[in-house]
Amino acid sequence: MRPLHLLLYLILIAGAVLVLMPFAYMLSTSLKPLNEVFSTPVKWIPSELKWDNFSTAWREHPIERYFKNSIIVAVSVTFLNLLTCSLAGYSFAKFSFPGRNLMFGVVLATLMIPLASMIIPLFMVVKSLGWVDTYWGLILPAGTSAFGIFLMRQHMLTIPNDLIEAARLDGASEPRIFAGLILPMSKTALSSLAIFIFMWNWDSFFWPLLVTTDDHYRTLPLGIALFESSYGTNYPQLMAVALMAMLPVLIVFLVLQRNFIEALTMSGVKG
Amino acid sequence: MDTTPSRTPYLSAETLAGIHEPARRTGWLTQERRRSLWGMVFALPAMVFFALFAIYPIVRTFYLSFFEYSVVDPPVYTGTSNFRAIVGDDRFTTSLLNSFKYVAFTYIPVLILALLLAIALNTQIRGRGIFRTIYFVPVVMSWVVVSVIWKLIFHRNGLLNATFLDPIGIPPKNWLTDMSLAPDAIVMMSVWKELGFFMVIFLAGLQNVRSDLLEAAKTDGAGPFQVFRSITLPLLQPTILFASVIAMITGLQVFIPQFVMTKGGPVDATLVLTLNIYETAFVFLDGGKAAAMSVVLFFIIAVITLIQFWLYRSRAYD
Repeated sequence: MRPLHLLLYLILIAGAVLVLMPFAYMLSTSLKPLNEVFSTPVKWIPSELKWDNFSTAWREHPIERYFKNSIIVAVSVTFLNLLTCSLAGYSFAKFSFPGRNLMFGVVLATLMIPLASMIIPLFMVVKSLGWVDTYWGLILPAGTSAFGIFLMRQHMLTIPNDLIEAARLDGASEPRIFAGLILPMSKTALSSLAIFIFMWNWDSFFWPLLVTTDDHYRTLPLGIALFESSYGTNYPQLMAVALMAMLPVLIVFLVLQRNFIEALTMSGVKG
Repeated sequence: MDTTPSRTPYLSAETLAGIHEPARRTGWLTQERRRSLWGMVFALPAMVFFALFAIYPIVRTFYLSFFEYSVVDPPVYTGTSNFRAIVGDDRFTTSLLNSFKYVAFTYIPVLILALLLAIALNTQIRGRGIFRTIYFVPVVMSWVVVSVIWKLIFHRNGLLNATFLDPIGIPPKNWLTDMSLAPDAIVMMSVWKELGFFMVIFLAGLQNVRSDLLEAAKTDGAGPFQVFRSITLPLLQPTILFASVIAMITGLQVFIPQFVMTKGGPVDATLVLTLNIYETAFVFLDGGKAAAMSVVLFFIIAVITLIQFWLYRSRAYD
């Protein structure tokens, strides 16, 4: 091995250690007894492994409810997006109708608009619909996304027109063509979209913070922030909760990492 | 991505459609009209969501920026007084500056490190897949979880002081409660969190740098630095431009780390624009002023995006 190569390896390994260190610290802290959290130097292996930090946190705080809410919200939002974005993407890619380009332009423009710039009226809309502290309020405002429509349109453009025409000649109706031909040909794009929408909504914080006041509807990130501000001193339990919250996304990522990175490079857009 | 529709060599779609069209005409609803109707029907669900949850709120924000609006009572028209109020408001200026500083201090290092990392991991180096995965892990973590972990890391007796400062004899620092350190602490965490995302963007961009060009340059006797400067960097220019715009737009919208770790403090040292908008609207109940701030943020991001388009276009005619 050339010296330059060796140096590169050393730098990459050092970097990887730095990147992973916070996770190791979280794992180690989550298993510590309270009196070992702060020691200099850091005690990486606790003197006894306190597994009951996990069960105590789970039992004494409504973590299960937060989990359930996060799953309900993230799964519903993902399904809604798969539906609305694939339909709109198909429409923008393969149909022409008056106002199409204008609509697509507006959709793209909203990609650039910060959530903060619309948060007050958005809150008022949801409030006037009576959706504060409901699943509707958490789910429906995220029911479609400019990112998703753009991603699906780019994909639909690659489907040959001849295939669609052939299906029409066979007498298939338009909804049938969409459901029976277009959707099966879009599995990769749909799964990429699903991954991102799920991940972002599992993380979503700003919107649930505004639209929920009742603990019953709080999602996991909100629950953690709340736990942190009210029980912040019990670091082992806090880290146990953070670890549990992180696991679902981490597992999905490790299983589907190829799709993750492909979707990211394919879209080149961060929602 | 290849966006050219593949074509079959025999009859084109247009020809086929032309042959059959007369037979399919039914009254005023020609096949063409029927089809464009279906197009509208397919776009409808997404457009309804958009109208209600994006377009209306944005338009309404512009409208409200000219009103005094307590979020509770009906708005009262006050002309440009909200804009005049924020111009003279030190807290607004502070939050705007904090946002710009956050973007510069976080994303300039992120972009440089991510580019170097991508180049290193674009070679045939062994284990590059594992490195890519490791560096990408923080990207998929939730900002809230990450903020909570790093709050512990920055604790007076936490990982950073105990493992990195103590062994070299530096006394422990109060990272999150010291005005001069809190912004840097959040920047440090954000670099860690965002690096992997931009690494992947650059890895994608590097796919456009043809390896035969690099080989040719090497056989011509160019050193690695020269190859980087005169081949890789120019070819990566569109990607770098794109990445910097994404970085600025994401960075200007940062909210969670400041909200969770410092609540904007100490003494507004980490009060960023989005946090200021949130507080103004939902804590101080001054919806009009918050709307005016949102309009300013909107224009900053619009200008950045337009500059990007302009740069792209001027590059296209090189």
